Amino acid sequence: MLKNLKTKLSSLKITPWTMWLGFLGLLLVAALIGGIAVFWNGLWITNLTDLVPWGLWITIDLSSIALSAGAFTLCAAVYLIGLRRYQPIARTATFVGLIGYTMAMLSLLLDIGRPDRFWHALVYWNEHSLLWEVTMCVVLYLTVLVFESMPIFAGFDWLKKRRPKLAAWMSHLHHYAPYLAIAGLFLSMLHQSSLGATYGVIKARPFWFKPEMSVLFMYSAIVGGISLTLFASMLSARLTSKARINDGLIERVSYFVAWALVGYLYFRFWDTLAQNYTYQPGRTEGLQLVTSGPLAFNFWFGEILLGTLVPMILLLTHATRRHPFWRMVALGLVVGGVVAYRWDTNISGLLMVISYLPGQPTVAYTSYRPSLIEFITGAGVIAYGLLAFSLGVKYLRVVDHRYAEEEETEKVAVKSVEHVVA
Amino acid sequence: MTKSINRRDFLKVAAVGAAAMGATQALQKAKASEDVESGPNQWVMVIDQSKCIGCGYCTLACQAHNDINPDIQWNRVLAAGEVDGKDIFLPRPCMQCAKAPCVEVCPVNASYYRPDGIVMMDYDRCIGCRYCEVACPYQARSFNWKTFDGTNPAVPKWGQPEVARRPRGVVEKCAFCYQRIDRGLALGLRPGGDADATPACVVACPTGARVFGDLNDPNSNVSKLLKQNVSYRLRDDLGTSPRVYYLPADAEKMEG
Repeated sequence: MLKNLKTKLSSLKITPWTMWLGFLGLLLVAALIGGIAVFWNGLWITNLTDLVPWGLWITIDLSSIALSAGAFTLCAAVYLIGLRRYQPIARTATFVGLIGYTMAMLSLLLDIGRPDRFWHALVYWNEHSLLWEVTMCVVLYLTVLVFESMPIFAGFDWLKKRRPKLAAWMSHLHHYAPYLAIAGLFLSMLHQSSLGATYGVIKARPFWFKPEMSVLFMYSAIVGGISLTLFASMLSARLTSKARINDGLIERVSYFVAWALVGYLYFRFWDTLAQNYTYQPGRTEGLQLVTSGPLAFNFWFGEILLGTLVPMILLLTHATRRHPFWRMVALGLVVGGVVAYRWDTNISGLLMVISYLPGQPTVAYTSYRPSLIEFITGAGVIAYGLLAFSLGVKYLRVVDHRYAEEEETEKVAVKSVEHVVA
Repeated sequence: MTKSINRRDFLKVAAVGAAAMGATQALQKAKASEDVESGPNQWVMVIDQSKCIGCGYCTLACQAHNDINPDIQWNRVLAAGEVDGKDIFLPRPCMQCAKAPCVEVCPVNASYYRPDGIVMMDYDRCIGCRYCEVACPYQARSFNWKTFDGTNPAVPKWGQPEVARRPRGVVEKCAFCYQRIDRGLALGLRPGGDADATPACVVACPTGARVFGDLNDPNSNVSKLLKQNVSYRLRDDLGTSPRVYYLPADAEKMEG
């Protein structure tokens, strides 16, 4: 048995693929150990405190959900608006969404004090709580995503050979795509906005307390989610022949991202500028924190310059948008900008400690730097996402822009697809 | 090979969606304690800053009676500047807000109002998401980062534990020593009058700076104090309607 394993191992060739898997595997093992340490010891081994109770994990959670927004946006575009030619991109986005939402679940499981009670929100409803609303929507939408992804999993060779009937049934779910798209649109619009409102309704944190929070979260999620799907598709196509893209299709969607970024910049500009006027304890300090304090680099470079302006120009300019490299850079930057926005938003509201003593509230500052264990486990959640996507590209053809056309022409019949894949 | 969705189907599903949205809206009625049927008693606390000397006995009594992890304080005494060269203090229990942000945001209803106005925590239900901590303007909530299984340094000198220790991973807070109130009422005692039915911090205060009682009873100490004195509440501008009132420090009334 052991000998068998040895010979098997020695026959393994070291390829970029196995190295990649090995690298992700290492991250996952480290995270698993870290995760066990967190569950065993409790959250005191993190750098979270009563003043900053939400940190790196929440940022990963928020970012995963935001960057999954390509799924509902593109599915709505394809199945509800009728932009059928983008169906293969929507297919990738759906898979990215499935990964993103499970990533969010994983980081939340780490973050909550009683992971054994994660199901409480489904049973004990507080309809007034935005976090309850988010939890319900996320669970329901994850269900939608599972159904939306069934046809993708139906393409798995192993499944088709072992369980042809099941594969055929899963593939058949594709017929319900328009209905799933409606459910996805409805649920996503609710919880993507609600995530922003989770912050936006907290009066105790004046820098968060504004109605546009939900709009900005929703908007940035759409832009970032589409960008991640396009970026991941292009990157996969560069790295492996398993991924095939229609560059023209991606370019067209990138052009949409470009104009969406113009709108985003407009919203952010007024959001930031309007808060410059009059002194309000907490809000003014929050703005200073972001525009000239410790978060200024994140804000000006991460969010505005690199996250919005540069990709906007790169994608609006015909030459750079046509050029796959620059287009990829631009899309990657948008993704980074959305993550930076989530980090800055969460942390900026928490770093200020507003006094409740009588008189005008005074503002003190606290600090937060994620601990090693938070980084290790957080990296593990991301590694899981990368692994799932890599396997999807390799075995499920999640990035394959010829797929839909083939399906279209071959009139399905799951068995015939098998030959095409082979 | 999907069939495309036609306009009618879309409208149908959209209508269902809109109806569902309407339903959730209807459910989202403002969650203030007025929704909970008010009981015959409305407990409030009045803290006279002229009398508070900042000794911290209230905190210690609280730690003992509620068996609190030494890393956590439900009840803090803060320095609050000076009046006429005399130091003044601000003891801060949970405000038991009538419109509590923590109750509003809790995703599982682990925070809730009692009919007598106390904002309660269901420690068996809390999932430890800490949204309530983020939402509370008074930092009155603490998370159990660590298991508390050691001895309580405040016991027995400052009292005996009356409630179960909270497990690791949940948020905890002051609840006006509801256990003393409930037991006292069952024994026919009067909270605010009889020590055994009154919050531990009020009983422990050596200067009588804390007064506890029923706002529904016009003859209670708290009703009288609030009628006869100017009082204020913390961050009243936030609209939280705290049930803890403060009588501002008056240098002439202060000793020493």
